[in-house]
Formats: sequence, structure tokens, C-alpha cells
Amino acid sequence: MSLTSNSAINGVNLEILWSRLISIADEAATALRRTAFSTIVRESNDFAVTILDENAAAVAENTIGVPAFLGVLPRAVKSLLQEIPIEEWNEGDCIVTNDPWLGAGHLPDLVMASPIFLQGRLVGFCATVAHLPDIGGVIFSADCKDFFEEGTRILPTKFMIRGKENAEVARFIRGNVRLPDMVIRDIYAQVAAHRVVAQGVQKFLCRSGFPNLSSISQALHERADTAMRAAIAKLPDGEYRSVVTADGYDDKQTEIHCCIRIEGSNLDIDYTGTSPQIDRGLNSVFNYTYAYTVYPLKCALDPITPHNDGSYRSVTINSPLGSILNPRFPAPCNARQLTGQLLAGAIYKCLALIVPDKVIAESGTAPTLRAVFSGADDTGKRFSQMLMCSGGMGASAHRDGHSCTPFPTNTGSGSIEAFEGLAPLLVRRKELVSGSGGDGKRRGGLGQEVEIEVTGSAAVNMSLMADRILNPAQGLQGGGTGRPVSVSLASGRTLHPKARTTLLPGDRLTLRYGGGGGFGNPAERSKADIRNDIENDYITAAEHMLAEISSDKK
Amino acid sequence: MNKRNEIRVGIDVGGTFTDLVLVDDRTKTTIFGKELTSQDDPSRSMLEGLQKLLDAHGVAWTDVANIVHATTLVTNAIIERKGTKVGLITTRGFRDVLEIGNETRYELYDLSFEKPAPLVARQLRLEVSERIGVDGGVITPLDESDVAAAAGVLRGHSVEAVAVCLLHGYRNPSHEQQIAAQLRNLLPGVPVTLSSEIAPVIREYERSNTASANAYVQPIVDQYLTELEAGLFRRGFDGAVHLMLSAGGLTSLDTAKKQPIHLIESGPAAGAIAAGYFSRLVDAPNLISFDMGGTTAKMCLLRNGTPERSTEFEAARVQRFKKGSGLPLKVPVIDLIEIGAGGGSIARVDAMGLLKVGPESASSSPGPVCYNRGGGEPTVTDADLMLGYLSPDYFLGGELQLDIAAVRNAVKEKIAEPLGMDITGAAAGIHEIVNETMASATRMYLTEKGEDPSDYTLLAFGGAGPVHAYGLAKSLGISKIIVPPGAGVMSALGLLTAAPACDLARGYIGQLSAVDWKTVNDLFADMEREAQVLLSELGVAWEDVVQVRSADMRFIGQGFEISSPLPAEELGEHQIARIQDDFIDAYEARFGRRVDGVGIEALTWRLHVCIPQREENLAFATSGKAGEALKGHRQALFEGSGFVDCAVYERSRLTAGSKIAGPAIIEERESTTIVGPDAVVDVDTHFNLSMNISKAV
Repeated sequence: MSLTSNSAINGVNLEILWSRLISIADEAATALRRTAFSTIVRESNDFAVTILDENAAAVAENTIGVPAFLGVLPRAVKSLLQEIPIEEWNEGDCIVTNDPWLGAGHLPDLVMASPIFLQGRLVGFCATVAHLPDIGGVIFSADCKDFFEEGTRILPTKFMIRGKENAEVARFIRGNVRLPDMVIRDIYAQVAAHRVVAQGVQKFLCRSGFPNLSSISQALHERADTAMRAAIAKLPDGEYRSVVTADGYDDKQTEIHCCIRIEGSNLDIDYTGTSPQIDRGLNSVFNYTYAYTVYPLKCALDPITPHNDGSYRSVTINSPLGSILNPRFPAPCNARQLTGQLLAGAIYKCLALIVPDKVIAESGTAPTLRAVFSGADDTGKRFSQMLMCSGGMGASAHRDGHSCTPFPTNTGSGSIEAFEGLAPLLVRRKELVSGSGGDGKRRGGLGQEVEIEVTGSAAVNMSLMADRILNPAQGLQGGGTGRPVSVSLASGRTLHPKARTTLLPGDRLTLRYGGGGGFGNPAERSKADIRNDIENDYITAAEHMLAEISSDKK
Repeated sequence: MNKRNEIRVGIDVGGTFTDLVLVDDRTKTTIFGKELTSQDDPSRSMLEGLQKLLDAHGVAWTDVANIVHATTLVTNAIIERKGTKVGLITTRGFRDVLEIGNETRYELYDLSFEKPAPLVARQLRLEVSERIGVDGGVITPLDESDVAAAAGVLRGHSVEAVAVCLLHGYRNPSHEQQIAAQLRNLLPGVPVTLSSEIAPVIREYERSNTASANAYVQPIVDQYLTELEAGLFRRGFDGAVHLMLSAGGLTSLDTAKKQPIHLIESGPAAGAIAAGYFSRLVDAPNLISFDMGGTTAKMCLLRNGTPERSTEFEAARVQRFKKGSGLPLKVPVIDLIEIGAGGGSIARVDAMGLLKVGPESASSSPGPVCYNRGGGEPTVTDADLMLGYLSPDYFLGGELQLDIAAVRNAVKEKIAEPLGMDITGAAAGIHEIVNETMASATRMYLTEKGEDPSDYTLLAFGGAGPVHAYGLAKSLGISKIIVPPGAGVMSALGLLTAAPACDLARGYIGQLSAVDWKTVNDLFADMEREAQVLLSELGVAWEDVVQVRSADMRFIGQGFEISSPLPAEELGEHQIARIQDDFIDAYEARFGRRVDGVGIEALTWRLHVCIPQREENLAFATSGKAGEALKGHRQALFEGSGFVDCAVYERSRLTAGSKIAGPAIIEERESTTIVGPDAVVDVDTHFNLSMNISKAV
């Protein structure tokens, strides 16, 4: 096949084979993004494509993904194989499910899996997941008490049978969503990606002469495993613990207990002690917990090596069944991000005890603050818009936290001009909040404040999903806490941070996105950095003086 | 004697080299020159190089009718942050737009990634009370006392240029214009850039960036062009000087001084325009231009002989090959991709024990190991030498003797031993991996446009392009390669085949069914007036121009727009059906999927005005020299064949009509063309090497 053929797997042909497979996954991802209608798929890359070997172990993934789907697809395909025996998977079949426990942790994410055959033999699988434009039920919100309010659940079933649409399933889905045409079109965008992968893998195997994908995946997994183990082996053995408290729901705060045990090249994460599941949509189904556990580990320990299933062989995760990090069916889980995105902070607090220079302090937007607005404008045109903004990232030993930057998620903000074109809302301000980053040798990233006015003559529905009002992002190594999140109305009416509510014409809503935690002793911050902070009003001079006085007292 | 269209000169000033091309239409000759760019004052090497070219051709400065110029000045000033001190005036509540940006991490796993610093520091971003709504209506009138206060602060900081970007200023420029008028009195002599003039399109972050970047480079570009003009006229030149725009059109000195940000991609645009010329010359309308140099490979897709264009560009990336790590600008540009793959790309073994190539480059200093100038890391050029593709004795025509022994040692120590393989296998791996990197990036670039590379011809140039074109073509399933003459000065050639053009835009959001067509017609009339002024400066008669109208449209609810054609006439309700159909067709062509029954809205209205492509016939004097072209044989490695004996030819002695069967190697001063065992090369009447591969997989 190449200049380097006729040899066993080595560091040259494995690189070429792997990059070709990644390139097939990327082409499929492009096909999916191109044909999907959903803005969230296109703009936020809220989808993933994975190529798996015939044992359902992942070989290659598309390059630009979101952390939420990390490791989800191989787990999902293995679950699907338990639900539908392999004998029933035929060429051209596409099996779908949006079950949060089997897939990506909430109903809008649809998982699709299909077998790949070559000359009648099973040679691998393709799996994709994408956020659908609608899945029935309530709008994106945290306050459902019942899982079944959150949308329609599709248990594993064939959407395509031997290359043809399963019309009954398509009809069932159409009957249960608000935007049937768009939803079906987006499912077909996934089907298109599966076709690209199947053809690409078949061609790849013919050219390379390998009978299936498993010899390649084994070699890749071994190498990724070796790289991760080498990184873990450098950490001192021991047990490291942390607790992160979140606002929870109403007066019930939730706690995440994290214990990292390191023994040689193995790393175990144990969430025993974490709060039990609650009757609101904050529960993080295990697959989502898994994704947001391995993602921060990868960033801290081995950020350079491209990841695959092998990267996490040395990692074990224990999350007690019935907790908010591994809820039992049918726990509501629509706003699972409010819990799952806190894990990075818990894990980094543990790792800071041994390798503080490899981690960052807590981020103001872990978890994200989201406001979803819907209703009709004065001409009767319906709208539904989510404001995607971020608070400050936590600081590290190496640099100040970035202001207004999401972590651990990675969903960008849109333009305010475009936002105003889509909803009868006027954004009065969108500005950095001076002094909102936790102080420290390295300052936390600044949060921002956004003020929104209802300009139409009709009321607007709003779903808020906010945390970190009572529990702002903490610093590390002596770094200070970032400013908390706040949500308020100019009228003085109080807002529930995790509920659906109505805004009245003329209401002015202020959303304050939290600052990131600082890193290191504030007394060690350089004069030049302080001068720059004051000149640009990142902190006020008065705040600086207060900080100096308090540090003198210490 | 009328000297119009007689002697024309193209000059491309790059970071390292200044390339010059002189065309004499009387004698049908084309001659080339190359100078090292004088770093302190690029106009010096430019004037000296041109003097040499004129002397060589035996003509005077007064004989030159026209000079077309491309420069890296703008892009370098932004990358190196060597622009001027700029102030920004913006709507109250929004001074942080420039700093908050689009709130994403371009690097998913690196916790300490850097973001590009905003071009204007926070203390120089000043707010004024005013507000315009999405429909262009004034919600809060402009408070002139705020402008006076802002001007005072900016004066205090001695800013040298000011940008103004107000929310929805693209829709209603009146407040921006009022501010400009006030600043003319308050800050006399300080140039002011209005977002509503430089980029009147929706999205405040990109528009502010564009206005700020224009202000940031304006004083230095103004000074450079003024001095250049004076220098030329001192030498007796009295013709016209034109500049290449990032979108491939030409503009006048005066416009370039006002809107220098439109020069940001002038060099790469010229290369793509040259590719368009060769596309027409060899009648290969669907072409991928492939320019591989020391550090990067650039790919540009041409459909029907026309390079693809885009309306945005990312400047000054923190990580050069990472999308999202730069400053997004709303400027029309030629749409090309840059890949971290060049002759100098460094090979190494990573933590997983896999061989990686690039994007780090040994560039020209210290350079590849074989240059023997201190480079210790094996590179693509080193691998090419070991595989027999390059001659150790004929690099740059023999000016640089390549050290193959040093290469063997470095490849053995750094690559072969860690991988546990022999050195030839390691070298072959480097060559193949760099080709694979370019192939997958090209496939993605074409997939995004719904195109299949195997339907395309590859036009290869740059020092390393012809060396890698054969392998790349095999990987992409391409069966035809063109290697043009003058490959080392392609951009300068492009300058002489470009035509005056301008691209204008106006922002106005509306659902097609509810658009006020009078407003749209007024916007187009306004753009036509502006185009008429711009093009008349270039001596273009309005009756000769071609107008192309389009709009950036989307389905309601979607967050991205695509360009869709509009009828070139007075618009009105009776055309809505046609405009909608055209959009749905454009959507289908781009995304492979037909969508009906969803509302459509337009955001930006665009006018492209150009003069039709004139017939060019550049005659190259560099080929067809007398003497035997076959100069020897050497061994080179090919896929599936191992080392095979190759005939080696001197390109400058090949004559039109020659046919060379592979395996063969065709050498010229600036590059080497590799012809595989399954390929045949024909030399056409324009001295292009035209390679056909029979068994493209």
C-alpha cells in the first residue's frame, strides 16, 4: 500500500494508518455538520463520530469534539450490543437510542450505531452522537421532577433497516417532537456520516491489506495506555481527597466527594460520599460522569498524545449507584451539566496536592450559566434562543485565567447583534466585571455581566440553569475565590436560579457570570501584573489596597 | 508613443524574498528577478531589484506603464504587533467586546493555551452613550459630550489612529459618522476608521477587530506607500501603481492608504490569481493549486478557473496552524488553507512511539540537516535527499552542496533507531507522512465544499511542491499534475494577470418575505456609487464592468449564512420566489441536502464589481535553451517498486512537445519534479510540465 508496506505494525505505518482513520472520521464529521440543520451541532460542534473495531473498541474519533462525548460512544455501542444481539445487526442497519443511561446522559443527544461489513464479514462499527433540535417534553431546564417530562425516550431500535428507513420509527419520532422535519433531517445527517465511515473503512482495509481493525486498535491502545501510564507513574502513590459543594436545588446543597488513589501506573477515582440523586434534573448519568472525569485527567496528565480507549485503561472510576454522579433510572437529568461540569474542580483539587503546576483553579463557568428565552415577538413570530456566555477560567501556576472562557465545556458565544435579531430582547451591557477574578500570584479570569431588557409587548418565557451563586469558584495554593454568579431583575423580583419563569415587558435581567479562582499567594503577584490590572481596571486600585492591607496583617 | 500595456511589472515583497516579474508586451517577453528583502526598508530591495530587471531588459523607468505590488507589511505588522497606538470608541456597555471575543478554547487539552491579545488595550477602549437597534432605529441618541471626553482621553494617551465601532453600526452608520466628524475637529490629523465603512456587516466582535486592525496598520502603510511612490517618481517612473487586494482584485494607492486591512493577504491572493491564469492556459478549469515551500503548504481550490473566495480571515494566529487562535476579521479574501508541511518540517518520534512530521519547521535557518548550517533535526528535505528525489549536487542549481552523510546519521539517531527500523524505511516514512498530512487537510477542505479531489488537476509550485506532487496526487486519487514554469515567482506573475475589482457589502437583516426592497435597492445604489469612484481611480470605464450581486442568507433559526446569488437588477417582491429558489439551490450545492418550507432571511448584501478577465499571453524565456536535456541517471525510491533507476533531465533544456516516461526526475534551479513509474510527462507549448498518472488509486 505504501513506501512503508510489507512490514509488521511499526511507528511509521501505525501513524499513517491512524491518521487515515482519523481522516475518515473527520470527513464523516464534516458530512454530519454539513447536512445537519441544528445550530448547536454546527456552531458548538455538539456531536461526535467514532470508528470502532469489531469488538466495539474505539480506533479513531473525529478531531474537534466536545468533552461531553469523550468515551461515551464505545460504552454506548457495547450497551447496544447487549440489548440487540450481534446476529441481528445487518449491513445497512442504523440503531438509535437517546436513553441517557445508554448514551450521552440526556434525551436531546441521539446515539446511532451501525456495523461495517467487508465481503460479508463484520470488520468494525461506526457510532455517532448528535444533539437533536428538539426531543419533545419541556424546553431545556433543570426543574423537572419527573424524567418523563423531559422528553421522548427512544429505546434501542433500528432507524434504518438494511439501508432503508424504518418508516414506523420515523413516524413515531415525528409525532413526538416540535420540529419534525428538522429532527428527521438531522437524524439523516448522522446516517450520512455512517455511510462515509462504512465506505471509508472498507476502502481503507482493501488498500492496507488488514483483515479488520482490531490489530490496529490493539497497537494504538497499547501505545496510548503506555503514554498515560508513564504520566501516572510520575505521580507519588497515595490517596488524595477533595470535596466540592454546589448550590443544588432550593435549600438542598449537593456535595461531590472525590478520592484519587494512585498506585504505580494506576489511578482510581472514587466518588463515594457524593450526595444521593435528587428529584430535579441535576443528576449526572454515569456516562456523562465518565466523560467529565477522564477529560480533566487527560488535560492535566497527558495533553499531547491523541486519545483513544487505551488512554483510560489505567483509570478506574467508582461512582456509587443512586448518587448524583450515577443516578438510577428514571432520575431527571436534563441539566446534568450543572453537576458533571463540577468534576474538573474536584479532580484538580486532589491533583493540586501533588502536581499543582499541572492543574488550574476552579472556573466560574464550571458549570455553565444558561438562560433560554422563548415566546413570540410582536409580529407573532416564535423564537427560542439560548444565551451562551462564559465566566472566567481558573488560574494556573503558569498564567492568569482567561476571562470569559468556558471550561470544561467549550461552547462559544454568539454575537449580540445576531442575538437581538432573533428575539425581542435588547442587550444593554455585556462587560467584564472588574475584580471578579480570584486574586493570587496568578489571577482568576474575569467574569462578565450581561443586562437584558424585554423590549416586546409580550411576556417572555425563561428557563434559568445557574449554580455557583452560593459556592463561587475556589482558588488553589492560596489563590482567592472568584466572584459568585448572580441573577437578578431590576424590578427587585427574585428569580429562582434553576426554574422556568416569565419575564414581563420592560423587565431588565442581569446575569453575572462568575470569576475564576486564583492560583498562589496574592502577595507574590508581580508589580507589573498589578500595575497592568489597575491600568486596565481588571481590579480596582481600592481593591488592591485592601488586599495589600490584609496580606500585611497575615 | 502610447506606452499603455507595454511594459508592466509585478512585485511581490515577501518576508524573505522580493519577487519581480517584468512583461514586455511589445516583444512578448517575460523575465524574472529575485532579491533578498531588505528588512529595514523593503522598498529599497524592491527598487534595486526593479532597476536590475530594467537594466537587463534594456529599458528605462519611463518605459514602465504599470507596477502592481503585493506586500506582507500589513500581516507582519499585526503578527509582530508593530502597529501604532490605537484608540477604540464604542457603545456604552460594550467596550469589552474586543477582549471577550467569541469565548471559545481553540485548544481543547492544553490548559495554559494563549489567546491573542486585543489590538486595543482596555484603557484605550472608550464608551459613548448611544444605541441603535437591530432595525437601525435610534434607541438612544449620541451624547456628543461623551465623544469629546473620549477624544480628550485618547489625546492624553497620544493615540495615532482611532477606530469606531458601535452596536448595529453596520445597519445605521449615522452615529459613527457623527463621531468621525467630531473627531476631525477634536483630533485633527489622526486617521479614523469607521466599522460601518471598513466592514459594514453584522457581528460586533469581528467588525470591531476589523476596524481596529485597519486603524492599527494605517499610519505605517500610509508612510510606506507615500515613500514608495516618491521613490518611484524620483527615478522617473510616471505610470500607475496598483496594489493587490486580499480577494484578488487590484486597487489604487489612495484606497489602499484608507483601507490597508484589505492588503492583508495580498501575496497569497496573487498566487491564487496566477493559478487562475494557468488554469485557463492549460484548460483545466477545476484545479487545486499546491504551493509547498520551506515551512508551509498552501492549497487553493479553483472552480471554473476562479479561486474560491471567503468573507472572513483569521489574522495573526497565536498558533499558526490552529484555527481559532487568531483575530477574526470580516474582509473579503481568497479562500485558501495553510498546512504546517514544508521542506523544512521536522520529523520526530512522539511519546506513543509514532513518527510525526511538522508543523515545527527548521525553515531556512538553521535549515535541514543536509544544508550543514547547524540543523540537527531530520526534515522533509533530508528525507527527500535520501530517497533520491533531490540531488546533493544540484540544489539551487548547485549553489548549495547537500551533505547526505550528515543526514544518514541524523535520521538513524533521531528516527530509525527509536522506531527500530532501517534508515531508508524511516526516510520513506517521513516523505509519506508529510504527504498524508497534506492529503488529509486537502480532502477536508474539499469535503467542506462538497467536492471530490479526484475530479481535479493539481498545479504544483514552490520549492518542494513538484517534489511531493506525485505522492500527494496518488494519495488524493488525482491523475493529472501541472508544473508551470516560473514556479518560484508565481505570486509576482499573478499580479500581472489580475484585474481591477472591488468587493462591497452592507448589513441589513430581514426575512425575505418582509424585506423592504426599497432599502435594499438603495443599499445597492450606494454600493454602485462607491464602486464607481473606486474603479475610476484605476482608469476603469464603468460601461466595461461586470457586476455580481449576492447576499449572505440563512434559514431562520440557523446561526450561519451562505452566499447566494441575486438578480442584477432592481429588486422587488416579484423576485422573492426566484431569490428563495437560488438560495435553496446554493444550500443544496454546499450541504448536499434540500430544505424546503423554512423561512429564509438575508443579513448582508454584497456587490462584486470587476472587469472581465483579459486575455494574457505571457511568453516565458526561461525554457527551451539549447543542449541535451538528459543529464544522467540516479536511483530513487517509489511505492511498490523499491529503488529504481531514473533518468534525470534539465528542465531548462526541455523543448515543447517533449515526452518523458517515468520513472524520471526533472531538475530546475528552484525545484525538482518527481515523475513516478506509472506517470508520463508532456512538455506543452507554454513549457508547462503536464504529468499524467495512469494508475491513480
